[in-house]
Formats: sequence, structure tokens, C-alpha cells
Amino acid sequence: MASTVIGAGITVEGEITTDEDVVVAGTVRGKLSAKEGVTIEHGATVEADVSGGSLVVAGALTGNVTVTERVDLQQGARVIGNVKAARVTIADGAQFKGNVDMDV
Amino acid sequence: MAQARTVTRSEGREARIGSGARVRGRIHGDGDLVVEGHVEGDLAIRGDLTIAEGASVTSKVVEAQTVTIAGTLEGDLAASGPVRLVSGARVRGNLRGSAVAIDDGARFSGRLDCEFELPPELGGTSRNESRGRTGAATRR
Repeated sequence: MASTVIGAGITVEGEITTDEDVVVAGTVRGKLSAKEGVTIEHGATVEADVSGGSLVVAGALTGNVTVTERVDLQQGARVIGNVKAARVTIADGAQFKGNVDMDV
Repeated sequence: MAQARTVTRSEGREARIGSGARVRGRIHGDGDLVVEGHVEGDLAIRGDLTIAEGASVTSKVVEAQTVTIAGTLEGDLAASGPVRLVSGARVRGNLRGSAVAIDDGARFSGRLDCEFELPPELGGTSRNESRGRTGAATRR
């Protein structure tokens, strides 16, 4: 169960900090820091630097990503920014522009 | 072709700031919002707002429809619907709503603006405003 949900009609402009999961279905501008999983749903818009344990993107993300575990860019995702994570998957149909740093 | 959807859709239009979360900035938009964590900044939603027990909202102005407060609110509240302060709530600021209910055990200090219509036999045709004036209407 997601602890923090930014619903589809909701916009947050500023900083979100949490030690739990975050699901974004709406809009976030600013900064998003979670300790656990971050999910950016289809239709969501995030213009923020994102950090967390893991990240799943099906929506639009502009910003740099720093994640300890894995990043999954799903079909329909549109990501512009640099991604730093131990594991990265980019599904067929995902759009991505930026650098990947898997810390090899 | 059909791809397994691992992204779970959050039902409806509900939004939730979890108990471990802190938001610094502005929150606005359509839909209901439940705050269990901490919010610092303006909050304006077209939907119902719940400030849960243990949650805190510090804001210059909070705008919403129906508002239920069991946590802490520092700042003014302008609700288009009814406002309810349940037991354990702490509110410091001015409250406005179509109706305001303060339960036993809620603490409130501020001004109360509640619009209502007088029945015609009392000569009321237009809207009147009651102001539970003065700084502190604290109830325990």
C-alpha cells in the first residue's frame, strides 16, 4: 500500500520528503525524496529531481534520478534526465533522453 | 501485445500525504486529500480535506470543501463546505465554513466566520454573518 499518493488532479509545487512509498498520478514540481519506492503513473507529470529506493516510471519525468536499487522505465514513459541506479530497465515504447550511470 | 501492467492505478482521485511524508510547498488541484504527515505551505484543493490524527498542516491559507481536522492546523481555513474539528484537533487560525462543528476535546483559538441565512420571519432575506469574535474560543 502506497503511503503517499499524489492524485491525478493534484499538483504539488515544492519538496516532498518521505521515508515511505510515493505514487504520483498528478503533477509534482520541485524535489521528490523517498526512502522506498517511487511510482510515476501513466498520465502523471514530474518535473523534479527524484531520489529513492526504486523507481517505476510510466508517465513523464523531467529531472535527475538517483536510486539505490532499480529504475524501470515502462512502456509510455517519457524521461528526460540523468539516471543513476544499480539496475536500469527501459521497456520497448519508453522514451528516454539522458545518461545512465550504473556505477560500474 | 498486451503488456503486464505493474503500475497500479491509485483508485479515484484521492491523494494522501503519508505519515512519514513531509511536503514543503504548495498543493493545489482537484480531488480529495488526506494528510497524515506534515505539510508546510499553502493548500488549495477542490475536494474534501482530512487532517488526520498526528498530522500537521502549517499554512497561510487552506482552501477546500468539506474539512475534517483531527490533527494540528496552524493557519486560516476557508472551506466552502462544513468544517469539523474532532476530539484531539488543535487549530490556531481563523475558520470559515458553511457550518463549523467543534467536538468536545478539540482545541481552537481564532475567529469563526460562519455564513448562514436567517429565516424570513426574522427578517432575513440576505446572508448574515456571525462572528464568534475575539482571539480565543478554546474548548476542551
